[in-house]
Amino acid sequence: MSAIESLLVFDRLSLVMVSLVGFVGLCISFYAARYLKGDRKQRVFYINLCFLITSVFILVIADNIWLFLTAWTISSYVLTRLMVHKKEWPAAVESSKLALKNFLLGITFLAAAFLVLSVDTGETSIQKILSSELKYSSLITGGLLIILTSMTQSAIWPFHRWLTSSLNSPTPVSAMMHAGLINGGGFLLARFAPLYFQESVLLNSIFVIGIITALTGTLWKLMQSDVKRMLANSTMGQMGFMFAQCGLGLFPAAVAHLCWHGLFKAYLFLSSGSAAKVKRLDLDYPPSLKNFSLAFVCGLAGAYIFCLSSGKNFVAADTTVFLVALALIAGTQMALPLLSNSSVKFLPLIAALTMLMGLVYGLSIKLVTYTLLPMNISKPLELNALHTVALSFLTVAWLAIVFRRTIENPKNYPEWILKFYVRMLNASQPHPKTVTANRNKYKV
Amino acid sequence: MMIVIDKAIEVKTEKTLSEKVVTDQNKIIENSWNKTGPFWPLRNLAAVNPISGFEDQPFEEALKNAQAYFQQEHFPEFMETVNRHTIKWLQAFFDEGQSTISMPMRNMGLLKSCQLLMRFDTSLCSGDKGKSEWLNSLSEDPKEIISECLNNLKIPLEKHEEFLTLMLTTLPGWAAYIKYRTDWADEKDNSNPNSVSKEGYMALRLMLTCLLWSDAAELLSWHEQILEKTDVKELYCLIKKNESSFRKNLFEKLDDESKFSVEASEADAQLAFCIDVRSEPFRKSLEAQGKYETLGFAGFFGVPVSIEDEVSGSSHSSCPVLLKPAHKIVEKPIKNRELAKKGFNRSQNFKRLYQSVKYNFTTPFSLVETVGLWSGLMMGLRSIAPQKTAVIGAKLKSVCNPSYDVSPKIDSIPFEQQVSYGANALKLMGLTRNFSRLVVFCGHGSSTKNNAYETALDCGACGGRHGAPNARILSSILNRVEVRKALEEQGICITQKTWFLAAEHNTTTDEVVFYDHDVPDSFEEKLNKLKKDLSVVRTENCKWRSGTMGMKTSQKTEQKIQTRSQDWAQVRPEWGLAGNAAFIIGARSLTKGVDLAGRSFLHSYDWQDDKNGSLLTTILTAPMVVTQWINAQYFFSTLNNTSYGSGSKVTQNITGKVGVMQGNASDLMHGLPLQSVNKSDTENYHECLRLSVVVHAPKSRILKIVKEQEILQKLFGNGWVHLTCLDPETAKFYDLDRDLSWQEK
Repeated sequence: MSAIESLLVFDRLSLVMVSLVGFVGLCISFYAARYLKGDRKQRVFYINLCFLITSVFILVIADNIWLFLTAWTISSYVLTRLMVHKKEWPAAVESSKLALKNFLLGITFLAAAFLVLSVDTGETSIQKILSSELKYSSLITGGLLIILTSMTQSAIWPFHRWLTSSLNSPTPVSAMMHAGLINGGGFLLARFAPLYFQESVLLNSIFVIGIITALTGTLWKLMQSDVKRMLANSTMGQMGFMFAQCGLGLFPAAVAHLCWHGLFKAYLFLSSGSAAKVKRLDLDYPPSLKNFSLAFVCGLAGAYIFCLSSGKNFVAADTTVFLVALALIAGTQMALPLLSNSSVKFLPLIAALTMLMGLVYGLSIKLVTYTLLPMNISKPLELNALHTVALSFLTVAWLAIVFRRTIENPKNYPEWILKFYVRMLNASQPHPKTVTANRNKYKV
Repeated sequence: MMIVIDKAIEVKTEKTLSEKVVTDQNKIIENSWNKTGPFWPLRNLAAVNPISGFEDQPFEEALKNAQAYFQQEHFPEFMETVNRHTIKWLQAFFDEGQSTISMPMRNMGLLKSCQLLMRFDTSLCSGDKGKSEWLNSLSEDPKEIISECLNNLKIPLEKHEEFLTLMLTTLPGWAAYIKYRTDWADEKDNSNPNSVSKEGYMALRLMLTCLLWSDAAELLSWHEQILEKTDVKELYCLIKKNESSFRKNLFEKLDDESKFSVEASEADAQLAFCIDVRSEPFRKSLEAQGKYETLGFAGFFGVPVSIEDEVSGSSHSSCPVLLKPAHKIVEKPIKNRELAKKGFNRSQNFKRLYQSVKYNFTTPFSLVETVGLWSGLMMGLRSIAPQKTAVIGAKLKSVCNPSYDVSPKIDSIPFEQQVSYGANALKLMGLTRNFSRLVVFCGHGSSTKNNAYETALDCGACGGRHGAPNARILSSILNRVEVRKALEEQGICITQKTWFLAAEHNTTTDEVVFYDHDVPDSFEEKLNKLKKDLSVVRTENCKWRSGTMGMKTSQKTEQKIQTRSQDWAQVRPEWGLAGNAAFIIGARSLTKGVDLAGRSFLHSYDWQDDKNGSLLTTILTAPMVVTQWINAQYFFSTLNNTSYGSGSKVTQNITGKVGVMQGNASDLMHGLPLQSVNKSDTENYHECLRLSVVVHAPKSRILKIVKEQEILQKLFGNGWVHLTCLDPETAKFYDLDRDLSWQEK
């Protein structure tokens, strides 16, 4: 018994991950009972789902590096099996192959990282590795290799292609993927957080690639014209943001993000059959400056409540200010459409709504960070130039959407915009082999 | 002098020659689209024959050709590359609100905007300077581009039409959608203002082909080889075999009883249902409950209108797609107009708020953290307890955005028109005397959740919409005293003892909702009895339907069926029109008490009231054509769900809010999903049977109509529909042969 126990670690992080994956797995099992009715692979789906959930459970409680690696490998492999569903459909097989190649790369990185760390420390327990003194070279190599693994798993640029080409999977598999396996990267980083607190270069690199992915993923998401690819690209952006949160030293916030995003995205996938019914509404962009200022005031109120409820300082010189800024932006954005459609007398109501949002937002984060408190993996860093630049990018991109004007006359389009559009459109296309260019190759 | 004249003649002939070439080319382009049928977007999925372009050929030949054109699993390699690029641009161009950063310059139209952007597409020209220069040098005129490309690809002149046809049939779903946009969409139907033309799409397709596949002429020989190999004899024999056993069975049932006596006893209520196959078992069950007379009539009740909701301002056509709406009817809330408006605004604001945070940079990161817990909760509830969640959801909605009853403002229809719509409808359904106390016009609609194909389950006669608004309009018209007076002059006497009433049959749950806010008290007793009987009918019909859906029947069947309609994971909420195989035109007495198993469209018709055959002409050229479209849609979606249907719902991906693709990207999958026609991946529910039409009218009258109507000659003469006459004079069945002669059965 103790031999088994020595291989495992039951900490708060395992608890959070087991709850997330278990809950989503449960929902999907119920959903697929009806959704896959009559599908000749329904049984195989359930068997694979069981394997997947079990292997993920083992993964999140594994302390021994080799057990961890095995569980990681099995869960990735089972996911690629789930992605195929019907092996007679070539595009689905290609999607799965693409993912498998990517995961194999990740597994290689992980194995190498574990090798470096265990050779240096002589330990095979993750906890023990994390508490022992590492040589600087193994810290950097091990740390970087783990970052690379996380990047492949969480579809961080430039390892994103498998995810944006994964929509040949059945809807419940996509839901499971976006709520479960894709978060492996964030989980891995959180597991090895103590490693990264030792070297700010590692944290900063996580932050930078995170921000690049967050911006790219979101841009592609906004460009997609089909619902599932939009969701996949959006996940890519969200994973980027989660990475950035890790890079800010706010690992519990990143875990909160992966949990809440997972649930949200799984829900959106499962309800993607309604996409045609949901009409896009006119948001009256660009807003008047007056409305924008009023919205900003509402946003400030919301951000203030967010700070109170999540236990952050409203004005701080560390990286938590990043989260506060985000709450401010979201609060402002939320108040905008309400203001443009109502008279000023509703301002208090709108401010109250924004504050409510701030409250819910803050409490959601608090719930997870509070759970993870004993792990001591939240150490906000001092703000540096990178953070400031990133924050201004995020703000400018947001404002650009709000204040952009539609150009009626094609002659007025600057050429670079057109070039950039086509370039991004191409970059966000799924891998050619995963497209069903002849419909008759599709098979049920 | 002679020389000059000669020259003049020469110039002249040259000119006419080039004019001839141009008109020839126009004709060629136009003809190349003939093999493509239209495909409606998800918002109103009107049923259509996916190979309607082949209807001018005999059925078996069309079957063969369609197989050669549409069912090929192996394309020349580069054809797939061309398709992939075409799909990319079409997806971006036809998007109706999925993307936030949409394709620039779409207001220039498909061809122009793509042309302007393709210059920067490195995946097309791949660093080849010649290619990008060629692209830049192209004219803006689609026809010139087409000539230039055909020239480049060295397609022989006599093969132009065939080549252009193949350019369309190798990506049939998108071509069908473009055909809908160019030939069928009207402003009401068309929420995408960016223009597209047939020549424009053809030019785009050819440009891409030129850039990516210089040997595209191979496509012609590829297709020829396939045509040679294609053989459908076995398939056709199988179809005929199945049809003859179905038809034998049908005629035995119809022949069985003494059909020709019409009982004249007064009914408690008369209810007119849509001709839809789902009405048939419901009517049968209702008739068993008491003295009820039921009728079959096209579910738009003869009023070609578009409906606008006063509160939301949204509008849609509510008539068969063959007709253009002649009037716009505004529906206004009966009471609490302000409350309805407030509720609507509240829900719009909420949606706007959500969309504004979701579709931007940076803000979605906060959004997911704020609503994550809530969506997890919803996901659990909807997956584990769909029914309870629906009840809670409905309660919440009734607080925030309460639903409201509406009534139509019919004054936009001129009085004379109202009278004529009333008279025509009553005549067409054969209800011109012996009115009972209550006459109910019962439209129908479905209720499903998370279903991209929702509108395919709604009323086909209303263009893929709910039928209640039309029922409300007709009953409002016929309840007007002035209208009744005018009808009396035409010999239709409706006394004050009769009240017309609108209702809607929910085909997913079998619930019937009445729009009875203004029913006079004196009718209340009859109405209550009817409502009570209908609740029994609901239970009965649910039981029957649960059998067809492979459910165990129990006490709770009704409840379980209700749950299916609320369940977001349900891929088979109801069978829709699956199983349809026959269309019976005649008095209900012909089919009353006969078990038709929900496979027949029923249209009421009294041959004795139609001496000149004008009513029958209408029935054969309008409702029958619609039923043939429906029948063909189910037929081909079942025959090959990949080529003519849209594949399994399990991997579908809605693109641009207009249609579905399979997975990452594919052709626009037109037709019905697998789950609508199959019990499972391997087992059919629907059977591939061509429509069998049975008409209770004299042979000579039917034949005269067929000979006058080109469309009927096409459908009967080419064997797309079987026509059988049940001759009232001889009481015998006669089949109409393809050479339009009668064969006694």
